[in-house]
Amino acid sequence: MSLQFLLTKFLRGAMTLLLAVTFVFIVLRASGDPAQMMLSDEASPESIAAFRARWGLDGSLVEQYVTYLSAIVQGDFGDSFRDGRPALQVVVERIPVTLQLGITALLATLLLGIPAGILAALHRGKWIDHAAMSFTIFGQSVPNFFLGIILILIFSMTLRWLPSSGTGSFWHLLMPALTLATATAATVARFTRSSMLDVLHQPFMRTAKAKGIPHDRRVLRHALPNAAIPVVTVVGMRIGGLIGGAVTIETVFAWPGVGMLLVNSVNQRDLAVVQSVVLLIALTMVVVNLTVDLAYGWLDPRIELHNKKATA
Amino acid sequence: MSSLDLSPVAGQLRRHSWLTRIWKARPPVVIGLCLGWLALVVIAALFAEFLAPFGFAEQSLLTRLKPPALMGGPAQSLFGTDDLGRDVFSRVIYAMRTSILIAIMATVIGATVGTALGIVAAHFRGWVDDVIMMLVDFQASIPFLIVALAVLAFFGNNFLLLIVLIGLFGWDGYARIARGLVLSTNGQGYAFAIRTLGVHPAKVYIRHVLPNMLGVIMVQITLNFPEIILLETSLSFLGLGVQPPGTSLGLMLGEGRNYLTTAWWMGIPAGAVIFLTTLAISLVGDWLRDMLDPNLGNKDL
Repeated sequence: MSLQFLLTKFLRGAMTLLLAVTFVFIVLRASGDPAQMMLSDEASPESIAAFRARWGLDGSLVEQYVTYLSAIVQGDFGDSFRDGRPALQVVVERIPVTLQLGITALLATLLLGIPAGILAALHRGKWIDHAAMSFTIFGQSVPNFFLGIILILIFSMTLRWLPSSGTGSFWHLLMPALTLATATAATVARFTRSSMLDVLHQPFMRTAKAKGIPHDRRVLRHALPNAAIPVVTVVGMRIGGLIGGAVTIETVFAWPGVGMLLVNSVNQRDLAVVQSVVLLIALTMVVVNLTVDLAYGWLDPRIELHNKKATA
Repeated sequence: MSSLDLSPVAGQLRRHSWLTRIWKARPPVVIGLCLGWLALVVIAALFAEFLAPFGFAEQSLLTRLKPPALMGGPAQSLFGTDDLGRDVFSRVIYAMRTSILIAIMATVIGATVGTALGIVAAHFRGWVDDVIMMLVDFQASIPFLIVALAVLAFFGNNFLLLIVLIGLFGWDGYARIARGLVLSTNGQGYAFAIRTLGVHPAKVYIRHVLPNMLGVIMVQITLNFPEIILLETSLSFLGLGVQPPGTSLGLMLGEGRNYLTTAWWMGIPAGAVIFLTTLAISLVGDWLRDMLDPNLGNKDL
């Protein structure tokens, strides 16, 4: 992996982050006086004055931008006006709960999507294929909050098998994670299938068969790694969808994570917390995209070469 | 996919089971049903005040939370009544109007802005192209629901802002497509020929390039439209989109969520309408793509 490749990707990520910070800055300034927006209505004149001094609100826009940027870089995202604690801290506390949901959903996505896609490709045109593809159409069209409510109605209200909300056990995690995973798993299955179909018809697969390599080994060791790249891309792309989906799913299942915090903070206009969540999500997305790009370079060295040619 | 015939799998493909045959016969029937459903949705949205038996805000506190007509409820309320005694069936019809209207306006905004920016990027190249493509990458890299929530938090909620905001979702797709198409047409003889005649570039794009892009843009709309409906209904479901006393399919489902145990019919019909509509558009979109470009090999995707 060349240094230039890494550097280009890294700069791109940094650029996206800067854009995100700038976006929040512009929105905050365009929407009114930040001192009135960020502090509660009952804020004393002293605390408003202190706020103005701290964020350099009496300087020019450029000065304000620089002050804002340096504060963000130092991890100062302002204070939540609900409990006066640093907004970043309020958000960070919620991260483990959200990660628990997100990672379970990601695992479910991979464990459902990839095998479904492989099976559909291997049995192309048979009932397995049709069942898997019907599932993907369903999964891609059903709104996640509707699916969540239907599941609650069936498994919590009618059958009384699973808890409808809250955290604590595996059983609490099951419905939110599966609901969140459905749409992503559907997309992953679809891409895995088409990618596998492409690879299965490559000449090297025939060669492998001619060499007498057993079927399972051919599929898992020869076809799958070659089919992996589009799948990695789509998994990377869908992580944004998982994060966005987590916001609604956490609200549906009263899962006390970052998503629910965001919705509540938007409702109460706790803007310091809102901006912290947005910037943290931007950071997450940048890290995810970087990881996907690095995974490419590792899965298929040709991509890096191709990139080099394109930039040269 | 003629190359497939050479492969060993092709032999298996010819042995159609009865299930396969049903599957093969599927598109016309299912697509017909989808188109029928979409026609119903459009009719409901257009003629809501004639079709709905009651007004969407008409309350009747004496008949609150009554079950649907076929489940022992009052005969005039097909889907039952909600917590304020409003007729759920009528509200679903009006909610269809709101949600479809927002989705159509947002699609027009996204398609126009995106296509225009894509053409501008491809026309000027250089730093203009770089800036626009950087914005495209930015838009694609952050989940839009989060951005929308942030903007609504800062500016407060109003209907116009909501429409513009939802309209900005998906512009990047149109921009990318328009840019690519313009770049490829600019390399073709006819665009060059017209330009050498001294025709203004803007006229070249509007008269000659844009009509050639419409097919692809239509396909992009079928991909984008369900996502726009989902964005609006998600926002409204979270209580941050369409505000009461207005009504939207997402809002109805959100309001009904608190009554799942006692009155599931408050929200479920609205949710089902969202699902059926996005499903129908996706299926019709798939089919349209196959029709427009049989060589695309979309069946494998």
